[in-house]
Amino acid sequence: MVALISPAPKKTMQRLFDFWSAYQSTVAFAIVNSFLALSTYAVLSAGILSFATVTYAALGGFLGARLVLASGLDSLLALPIAALAGAGLSYLVALVFLRLQSHWMALASLSLILITRVIVINTPWVTGGVVGMSVPMPLSLSFLSLLLALAAFVFWRLSVSWYGIAAQSVREDPAVASSLGISARDIQTIAFVISGAVGGLGGILLAGLLQFISPDTYFVNIAFTMIAGVVLGGSYHWSGAIVGAAVFTALPVVAQAAFPEYQDVANGVVLLAIMIFLPRGLIDPRAIRLRRASR
Amino acid sequence: MELFIEQLINGVALGSLYALFGLGFGIVFSTLGILNAAQGTYASWGAIVALNAADQWKLPFAASLLTGVVAAGLIALIVDQVAFQPLRKRGTSMLGALITSIACWIILDSLAGTATGHNSLSFPRGTYPSTMFHLGTIPLPAMQLITIAALLVVTLGLQLLTRHSRLGSAMRAVGWDQTAASIGGVNPRYVVVITAFLAGATSGFAGVLGGITTQNVSFMLGEGLMLKGFAAVVVGGYDDVRGTALAGVALGVLEVLTSQYLSSGLRDGITYSLLLIFLLVRPRGLFGSLNFSRA
Repeated sequence: MVALISPAPKKTMQRLFDFWSAYQSTVAFAIVNSFLALSTYAVLSAGILSFATVTYAALGGFLGARLVLASGLDSLLALPIAALAGAGLSYLVALVFLRLQSHWMALASLSLILITRVIVINTPWVTGGVVGMSVPMPLSLSFLSLLLALAAFVFWRLSVSWYGIAAQSVREDPAVASSLGISARDIQTIAFVISGAVGGLGGILLAGLLQFISPDTYFVNIAFTMIAGVVLGGSYHWSGAIVGAAVFTALPVVAQAAFPEYQDVANGVVLLAIMIFLPRGLIDPRAIRLRRASR
Repeated sequence: MELFIEQLINGVALGSLYALFGLGFGIVFSTLGILNAAQGTYASWGAIVALNAADQWKLPFAASLLTGVVAAGLIALIVDQVAFQPLRKRGTSMLGALITSIACWIILDSLAGTATGHNSLSFPRGTYPSTMFHLGTIPLPAMQLITIAALLVVTLGLQLLTRHSRLGSAMRAVGWDQTAASIGGVNPRYVVVITAFLAGATSGFAGVLGGITTQNVSFMLGEGLMLKGFAAVVVGGYDDVRGTALAGVALGVLEVLTSQYLSSGLRDGITYSLLLIFLLVRPRGLFGSLNFSRA
């Protein structure tokens, strides 16, 4: 009798354990995706729709991982290097792209991603080419959480700084902003550089988390999921990016539990529903202000 | 020399597919102002439905082709009414529609994967014309000729429709400004529905033909066409039918000749670099009009 009963609790324990390990990696991915989403938000908050985050992430990821592999650099040092590389690249991108109008900017950044993949495939001495490369860079969950807290703090301070307010005015109405003496181009260049730094950092964190990166790691899919995450979470507040990334990362896990056959479909349907019924996203400062005012 | 001509014809046929797909993509972008991420899935679904019609229902070639094309048009129509119409009614920007189109892309892509059992299927022999014509010693497969002819017919048809018919004027009016168009006596809802159907059917047409010639019917089909079609639209000037057709063919020829005479690794690189150069230097494309300024 005892022999019959005893396997059951063990199984439950096992399940609990499985659940936690699955859950843990979801949290880690949500944090890393938050960085990529924050990078997208950084430019969006200055009125620019750009998918170039993926390119910064690819640079940060491949460069950082190669440095760690080739020179045995400490992975803690690789992170700021990846962020710096991303920032440098984004400055160059800003120089070239900022003369484009909004539609063309989005399209040009999309084609930048396509070119990124071609470059990654054709520089095997850095990136491992088509085969990809493995990344021996363990990241603990607490370290990731700490980094995200730091990033959130920076974004919060930025949002209430002179820069944050200027960026908001550029986003809402560039003409008014320039009549107030705010140079849209300067503000947007700063936005690009912030986006590049956060994107490069997100890229190397993603590499560490996946432990293996290939040309397909940094491609159009990430760009679309990131922008979807930002808009889903709310593109008018920095915390929207984090909330959106978390929801967008958790959604497939929940969907898999609920509808194992059609988890992607369930994902899409939820995204569609949120966009149709809450077009300004989950975190909407305007709605919060209106609610406060009505009290 | 013979090899060159043979590859030239291959390139024109491949480019015709890109151009055909791009025409559908371009109509949506110029008339409805939507960067539609789901466009590629229309091609995949067109091919899947046509394959089903040919294989399961034993329809003749022309009938299964038509079934696939109409099915793709209907899917595009449903996507438009479900995902874009609610946002259009509220008058939100391009960003919202981009996100909902990503949602539709996720849904349709994963359903396409389920429908094909996550395999790459192909049209069985005998369900399509496989006659081989010869021009001297140069082989000319019937499907290549059909593809090229299809592009010519569709381009001519769309050119007549958009530039020389009342419906075309209405489409361009709606593309410019919906409110102004309705003051001018155009019913925007009706124009939008027809445009969405036409765009889906055109892309679905490319999907069916591409599925036959590349022997690959799966969700990957649409993705490949999507990226190249996008390039064709931008290079050609997306509000111009002839430009898209010409640019698509040119890209196809360039790709085939590059992989024949230079290196197959450079193939995508050349296309995407051209895309980026055009966006930066001549964003309106080869033939596009200058006066585009929709926010």
